[in-house]
Amino acid sequence: MKNIIELKDIHVSFDGEVILDHFNLAIKDKEFVTLLGPSGCGKTTTLRTIAGFVQPQEGRVLFEGQDISKLPAHKRQVNTVFQRYALFPHYNVYENIAFGLRISKTPEEEIEKRVKEMLALVNLKGYEKRNVSSLSGGQQQRVAIARALVNNPKVLLLDEPLGALDLKLRKGMQNELLRIQRQMGITFIYVTHDQEEALTMSDTVVVMKDGLIQQIGTPEDIYNEPANPFVADFIGESNIFGGKMIRDYLVEFEGIEFPCVDAGFGENVAVDVVVRPEDIEILDAQDGMLCGTVETVTFKGVHYEMMVRSDRFLWKIHSIKCREPGDKIAMKIIPEYIHIMKKEAGTVN
Amino acid sequence: MKKKLIAVPYYVWAAVFIVVPLLMIAYSAFTDTQGNFTLDNIVQIGKYWPVMLRSVLYALVATVCCLVLGYLLAYFMAQQSERTKTLLMILLMLPMWINFVLRTQAMQDLLDLLQNWLRLADIPLQVSNNPFAVVLGLIYNYLPFMVLPIYTSLEKLDRRVIEAAEDLGANRFNVFRKVILPLTMPGIGSGVIMVFVPTISTFVISEKLGGAKHNLIGNVIQEQFLQVYNPNVGAAISLVMLVLILFILIIFSALDEETKEGLL
Repeated sequence: MKNIIELKDIHVSFDGEVILDHFNLAIKDKEFVTLLGPSGCGKTTTLRTIAGFVQPQEGRVLFEGQDISKLPAHKRQVNTVFQRYALFPHYNVYENIAFGLRISKTPEEEIEKRVKEMLALVNLKGYEKRNVSSLSGGQQQRVAIARALVNNPKVLLLDEPLGALDLKLRKGMQNELLRIQRQMGITFIYVTHDQEEALTMSDTVVVMKDGLIQQIGTPEDIYNEPANPFVADFIGESNIFGGKMIRDYLVEFEGIEFPCVDAGFGENVAVDVVVRPEDIEILDAQDGMLCGTVETVTFKGVHYEMMVRSDRFLWKIHSIKCREPGDKIAMKIIPEYIHIMKKEAGTVN
Repeated sequence: MKKKLIAVPYYVWAAVFIVVPLLMIAYSAFTDTQGNFTLDNIVQIGKYWPVMLRSVLYALVATVCCLVLGYLLAYFMAQQSERTKTLLMILLMLPMWINFVLRTQAMQDLLDLLQNWLRLADIPLQVSNNPFAVVLGLIYNYLPFMVLPIYTSLEKLDRRVIEAAEDLGANRFNVFRKVILPLTMPGIGSGVIMVFVPTISTFVISEKLGGAKHNLIGNVIQEQFLQVYNPNVGAAISLVMLVLILFILIIFSALDEETKEGLL
């Protein structure tokens, strides 16, 4: 598939503070791409650069291969769903959605047809005359989506669109956004700091930190094969610690050698090891080599979260089995669940 | 209950200084010097119609000029850094700390000076003691009252709503026409009232800058009370002006349904 948006060597800084550091990204047509990262990582700036609200000091923005870097926001064929919606308070629902069509001087019958289609798409039939301030957060969100889609953009930019909604509503809207994206068959570029949202919705996740891309991949890749401790820690919960790669397929940590599925790091090389809390199986103390004492137990609904102190680390374990604080247990980790990463400076050993 | 108690001083104030005086004006307007009912005062107003219309015209011109200049200034101010904003605000307010009569006299002196230069340079242009000078004085004195409410409404404007309009394809002109202007209408409404109402009844500015030839209705009312000693006619004119202003404000607000709250 061809690239619809390409960012080439984009550099943005405000008051000497670097926001995007020679940033490169290619986004394929009809993809659902999520820019994920903590606040201040540059994800919103990336989106605003594509929309045309931020002028990068260096670099180019390509849209279907054409350089649009110099094009002002109102001439770009992308539309945005803004954080907290930014609806026009002086227009009703109908006029908010019709705004883009009125600007392009679309005939009245066409406007009416398109607005009706959009209202149907976002399940807001019958809300035409409503004042936007009388709508709930979820309904305002739908109006914002309809308003952005009415111009038939090839790319829809969404800036933390569900951030202001409560959990239940957010789950519902996630599914609706996916349905809308499939139905319209266009590219969605979605910004969020919520890793669960990113994993649920995306075809591709771009993990960012300090204006740099940490990893690009499918949700499965990002979750199962994090490229570095930051990604491992940011996506889901992780036990991250230092270890030593004895040779291919054999790693040592806590003074114990574990078989693993990774290779190519060399022999006797210091590495970082990631084990997901849900990938650790609890056994009775005498049945395993890696032992520890339960320190705390917290009920989390689907599972219990236990902090287990071993010789060198404090392990986080998610399990449906419950143990009491003070219990001695053994931990079993199968080779597939041990993820090896190249050592990075600053990891706690 | 507590809320009502807080309002008591205002009600007393309103009764003593607003309602009673208004009733007194209405009473004077329909009575003669002996206190007998008469429509004579109202009939007499007929000969002041030209002055009244001129006052409305001057006030309208001054208000429109203040609106255009004030909006541009407020728009410019709202886009500056916090420091510049404060500085511009002080510059805008500074003249208002000088006595009003003194300010108007100073403007008269400046215009006279300019008039002399023009005469010496053989430029046939009249800048003092004429309608131009009066309207200029009105604009000069009342511009801040237009700028402040508009500036406030521009400051309150959500930056993202403007971006949303740009995002949907609106160029700068359309952003202004379809988003900024309608959203600052309440500020415009307040500004128009704050300028139009005092300018229509001014008498100091027209007296000083108009060279005694360009009397406005304010001057006529003042004359009736202080020189002709005919307060009943003065009251009648005031009453008619009150109704006229109310009428004009209703027209203003009818011009844009949205601004009704801002104007009335």
